[in-house]
Amino acid sequence: MIVGDLKPLAEIVAAVKEYKQVLVLGCGSCVTVCLSGGEKEAQQLSRELSEKQHFEGRPPKLEVGSILRQCERDLVLEYQTIPAGTDAILSLACGAGVQTLADAFEPLPVIPALNTTFLGASDKPGVWTEKCKGCGDCILAQTGGICPVARCAKSLFNGPCGGSKGGYCEVGQDTFCAWTQIVARLKKLNKLHLYENICAPKNWKPGGATGPRKRVRTGLGDGTG
Amino acid sequence: MSYFRVNENCNGCLACVENCPASALSVADQSGRRTLKHNMTQCARCGQCWRVCPERAIEFQHLLAGEWDDVISLDLILCRVCGEALYSPSYNQKMKSKLNSTAEALCPKHRQRSSAAMWPSWAVGKGHAKSGEK
Repeated sequence: MIVGDLKPLAEIVAAVKEYKQVLVLGCGSCVTVCLSGGEKEAQQLSRELSEKQHFEGRPPKLEVGSILRQCERDLVLEYQTIPAGTDAILSLACGAGVQTLADAFEPLPVIPALNTTFLGASDKPGVWTEKCKGCGDCILAQTGGICPVARCAKSLFNGPCGGSKGGYCEVGQDTFCAWTQIVARLKKLNKLHLYENICAPKNWKPGGATGPRKRVRTGLGDGTG
Repeated sequence: MSYFRVNENCNGCLACVENCPASALSVADQSGRRTLKHNMTQCARCGQCWRVCPERAIEFQHLLAGEWDDVISLDLILCRVCGEALYSPSYNQKMKSKLNSTAEALCPKHRQRSSAAMWPSWAVGKGHAKSGEK
């Protein structure tokens, strides 16, 4: 899922203080599941923002809503009503949702309340960790299901660097060395021979190095992209 | 009550069934009747059915904001003073065994009053008094 973190309240206050009426809009998908941007968090943020001490003048009037997914233009245009008098939307979606709303409801300003942080998974309740960079050329079959692009601090492809000590990465003692994990996993899978395959320099074009990526599924819509 | 609802525009063309990526829609043709079926547990609420329906028959809003289903209904123990709902008898039993004590059926407000009544009047509302102080 896409994981996000609420921005510092002071930053949000600075972004909304110029508006008179703000729609605080949660998103019902990834950020609901990672407990950062769903309807509950939208309600909570609205309560905090309605405290007068955050604003020099009168705080903006706040309306709260939520929609299943903010990242689908046709869905939000059809089903998201904007209350009369709204002069800005404070979105608790990921960056994709914020931009979709900004396109759909132009010229209404759409302000992000979250920092979109990573594509991750929940390893245990209350903890989400980065698992994928969306690099567009998945090599998990060669690395025992552990991604060196996302989980090695240097995104190395041919084993660990000299900063790997005792199974941990030199960037911090709570960060596992992805390559130590990969080797351990390949041993368990009886596929350690895969570690000897030399990976050629990665082509980063599918990873977005040549600009924003697009997927067109023929048979849906007008098929033109 | 199904959350997947179609209006009278539906002509049974099955575009929705064909295009559902989650296989949450199916059809049963029996005895000269066509019945559209929806399985909520498989539905991803992705909206593809709504997008592809040529008749605009799918009322997707019911999958965005549905009604509440009753899941279970339990008896409640009420505050013996004001009648505020507290907890179920089985929850009370579990807490009794965990805490090894019997709690009176009181809401937080009346529990506070009941606790305060156990103290001498000079001690109430004065915080911690040093030894010898009144």
